[in-house]
Amino acid sequence: MPQHEHMERHAKLHGRRFDAEERERKKEARMVHKRSEFAQKVHGIRAKLYQKKRFKEKATMRKTIAMHNERNNKHADDDAVADGAVPAYLLDRQGVSRAKVLSNTIKQKRKEKAGKWEVPIPKVKPVADDEMFKVMRTGKKQNKAWKRVVTKCTFVGDSFTRKAPKYERFIRPSGLRMRKANVTHPELKTTFQLDILGVKKNPSSQIYTNLGVLTKGTILEVNVSELGLVTTTGKVAWGKMAQVTNNPELDGCVNAVLLV
Amino acid sequence: MPVYNFKGMKPVPTAPELVDIVLMRTQRRTPTVVHPGYKITRIRSFYMRKIKFTQQTISERLSGMLTDFPRLNDIHPFYADLCNTLYDRDHYKLALGQINTARSLVDSIARDMIRMVKYGDSLYRCKCLKRAALGRMCTVLKRQKASLAYLEEVRKHLSRLPALDPNTRTLLMCGLPNVGKSSFMNKITRGNVDVQPYAFTTKSLFVGHCDYKYLRWQVIDTPGILDHPLEERNTIEMQAIIALAHLTCSVLYFVDISEQCGYTIDQQCSLFRSIKPLFANKQLIVVVNKVDQQPWESLEEAKRAMVQGLADDANCSLMTMSNLSEHGVSDVKAAACDKLLATRVDARVSGKKIEGVMNRLQVFNPAPRDGVTRGAFIPDSDGVTDGDVDMDGGNIRKTARELMWEGGGPGVWAPDYRDQYDLADDSWKFDKIPEIIDGKNIADFVDADILDRLEALEREEEQLVAESDAARMGEEPESDLESEEEAAVEAIRARKKIIKEKKLATNTQNKPMLPLSIRGKSKDKHDAGTLLATEIRKTMDSIGVDSSKMLERGRLLERGRKRERSLSRSRRGADDEDAAMDVDVSGLSKAALKKIKKEKGEKARRDLSQARSHSRPREPSQMGLKDSESVKSAQKLDRLGRKGWMGASGEGDTRKSVHLVKWMNTGKKRNGTHYQR
Ligand SMILES: Nc1nc2c(ncn2[C@@H]2O[C@H](COP(=O)(O)OP(=O)(O)O)[C@@H](O)[C@H]2O)c(=O)[nH]1
Ligand SMILES: [Mg+2]
Repeated sequence: MPQHEHMERHAKLHGRRFDAEERERKKEARMVHKRSEFAQKVHGIRAKLYQKKRFKEKATMRKTIAMHNERNNKHADDDAVADGAVPAYLLDRQGVSRAKVLSNTIKQKRKEKAGKWEVPIPKVKPVADDEMFKVMRTGKKQNKAWKRVVTKCTFVGDSFTRKAPKYERFIRPSGLRMRKANVTHPELKTTFQLDILGVKKNPSSQIYTNLGVLTKGTILEVNVSELGLVTTTGKVAWGKMAQVTNNPELDGCVNAVLLV
Repeated sequence: MPVYNFKGMKPVPTAPELVDIVLMRTQRRTPTVVHPGYKITRIRSFYMRKIKFTQQTISERLSGMLTDFPRLNDIHPFYADLCNTLYDRDHYKLALGQINTARSLVDSIARDMIRMVKYGDSLYRCKCLKRAALGRMCTVLKRQKASLAYLEEVRKHLSRLPALDPNTRTLLMCGLPNVGKSSFMNKITRGNVDVQPYAFTTKSLFVGHCDYKYLRWQVIDTPGILDHPLEERNTIEMQAIIALAHLTCSVLYFVDISEQCGYTIDQQCSLFRSIKPLFANKQLIVVVNKVDQQPWESLEEAKRAMVQGLADDANCSLMTMSNLSEHGVSDVKAAACDKLLATRVDARVSGKKIEGVMNRLQVFNPAPRDGVTRGAFIPDSDGVTDGDVDMDGGNIRKTARELMWEGGGPGVWAPDYRDQYDLADDSWKFDKIPEIIDGKNIADFVDADILDRLEALEREEEQLVAESDAARMGEEPESDLESEEEAAVEAIRARKKIIKEKKLATNTQNKPMLPLSIRGKSKDKHDAGTLLATEIRKTMDSIGVDSSKMLERGRLLERGRKRERSLSRSRRGADDEDAAMDVDVSGLSKAALKKIKKEKGEKARRDLSQARSHSRPREPSQMGLKDSESVKSAQKLDRLGRKGWMGASGEGDTRKSVHLVKWMNTGKKRNGTHYQR
């Protein structure tokens, strides 16, 4: 019965085939063709997956090659002093790497862009009432149609108590109620799962705000006590605003960005 | 008793592989076609099924892992400790724990998302939710990358561990490196352990098996142990220590007295002393090895005393051995096995379980009565000791088949069956039998009275034939027709045959035929029945046959029988009286006679008072039918025939009548609606 590293042991005792190395080399050489054959044959979702994988491999390959290549791009060399006399119009030129300038400008632009608006999602598509509410037929003969069921995710506070069904106009299904949000801190670039404290504003309508409907662009108040954020006065911040960035009814969760 | 075999564990896929497996399975095993036009409930259940299925697959996979991997608390402490040193107990438990939490996470995700899908109001929304659910589940799996990779490594290693049974009879070798443990293992088992002249050739536990006293013995080779504190021991050494600590076995402590291993006898003795606590409750033998290089007798006195001292200290025996010259190898093995066997048997006997067996066991050894030897008795009739059978040195005689193979096999040698002939004189057995002597075939004379017997047979047969003829003579063999009449019958039959064939040939309709009897009675004005008297008369007259007799007979047949007058009442009463008179009255008491008379009188009165039975005409539909059976069959035929006759396509054409009666199903209802009241 084989025990432990029996393959290695066998190779050690009896050696390998004489052409083992040659076979390995050939196998590796054929690998390229095999792969290309597969890539040409495959279709559908598998093709997509395969190409994605291959693309990643190639990208890392290119990166490593580039890293090993001699660096020939321009970079900052302040002590590169031009030999001899320099014309006056070139005097203010410094040894500056092109790439660096470019990246700086891009960053600058992005920053400007970011500063223009106050919330991450400035504009939202308004949600129509008939999309938001589904008519619920009631009455013994199902001929009354004054009740509405909210079809989007909602936040319902802890203290909420249902009215008597007879008087309850809006129904917020318990399956669509959310209590937590995945909140990203834009500066820390980390995401926390935080309790929702309340819905401050639903941009589509005041009714939605009152109902606590969560749609894209809704401003929430979240409990940030876990984060240990401190206000300017030195107190620990408790509630903070965040804006919903996804469609919770499509994703089954609430993603938000902290407004800082 | 659990068997520690970790070879059956399923491979653990890596995280991306697992994701692929799960998603592919969902894709292949659940329906793939859905349209926005479907009912929303159908769309929802389509996507819910996908989510549920994915969750189940993941759950199945992860649970499989959790059950596959041994739980360190449940397995033998030897294996638990081995796993601890090899794979790190904490790491192992953590990995399995993470798999477990991943499973429950996936379960809760699926539960939540299915709940959301229940509220989905469009295909797009359901699809998005499904996508989100599958994505989240796969993310959970992806997070388990490290644990899965670790578990796969562990599985590979575990499956290559030798199948070591911690509870069986075991010999265990220990000692410093290079003292000859593995060489000894190779000598007594087929373990095939690597032997090299450098330290730590053996890096883990090896198991081999040997046979002693018809029992299987497990032999364990351990890596060498160095003489330093427990904390400093490395993984390789620890395996040997664990084996020593947890296995109940016979331990062979190897001492290399030639000191070729690189360690002095002094060092070997000090190692012995330091690991001595591990030898408690074990059968120990100090094995002095490599005596081919350095004989035990010629060893320095001091060293010898030191080694001897070890054995005396531990209260165990000391044996000399050499793997090279094979001196004492089997002695060492036998001694170790014997020691262990003795203690195991002792432990059994002193244990509790033995009582149940011992109660049932009784061994009697009767004291000899006298000095007579009583050997085994073999009866003479056995055949084995028969005088006339060939005995081959007291062995059983050979069969013809064995003889055949000895003589050269089939086709070369065949047994002579003549020696089995049963003749009056044995000397005739092998005599030659000619076929023809004096122009006469011998076979003809084998049976002398064959002709006589043939004659007897023929006579018997003649007699039988005669008897059967005689029996047949009593019957009337021939019909009572005259030859002329017979000829007429023949002619009629021939004519009939011709008519039938002609009809077959000219018949164009392919419909079931109505029986003549039904058609004959038909009342249809377009198709007068063939049995109608006028029709018969017409056809018969055309042939030139007198039809009057025929019609008369037909009428009779139709009526069944001649009508008879019913008997008159008076006649009947007289008959009854006659019958009553038959009663034997002699020997009866007066009272009995009186009783009979009274009964008679009553009967007569009753009969007279009964209404006269009318001979009612039969019901017209049953007119001319013989009995109830024929009535029944006639009714059936009538029913069937009418069907065909009334314009349906055939007997098989059964029409359904109106089953939804309009007046019952339309209009206003008094109380409530049609569906509910
Ligand atoms: N002369 C001699 N050499 C031996 C004997 N037994 C083992 N050896 C040698 O000792 C070396 C180490 O043996 P090995 O069985 O690997 O020792 P282990 O480390 O205790 O398993 C090998 O080179 C063997 O050939 C013996 O009885 N006599
Ligand atoms: Mg060894």
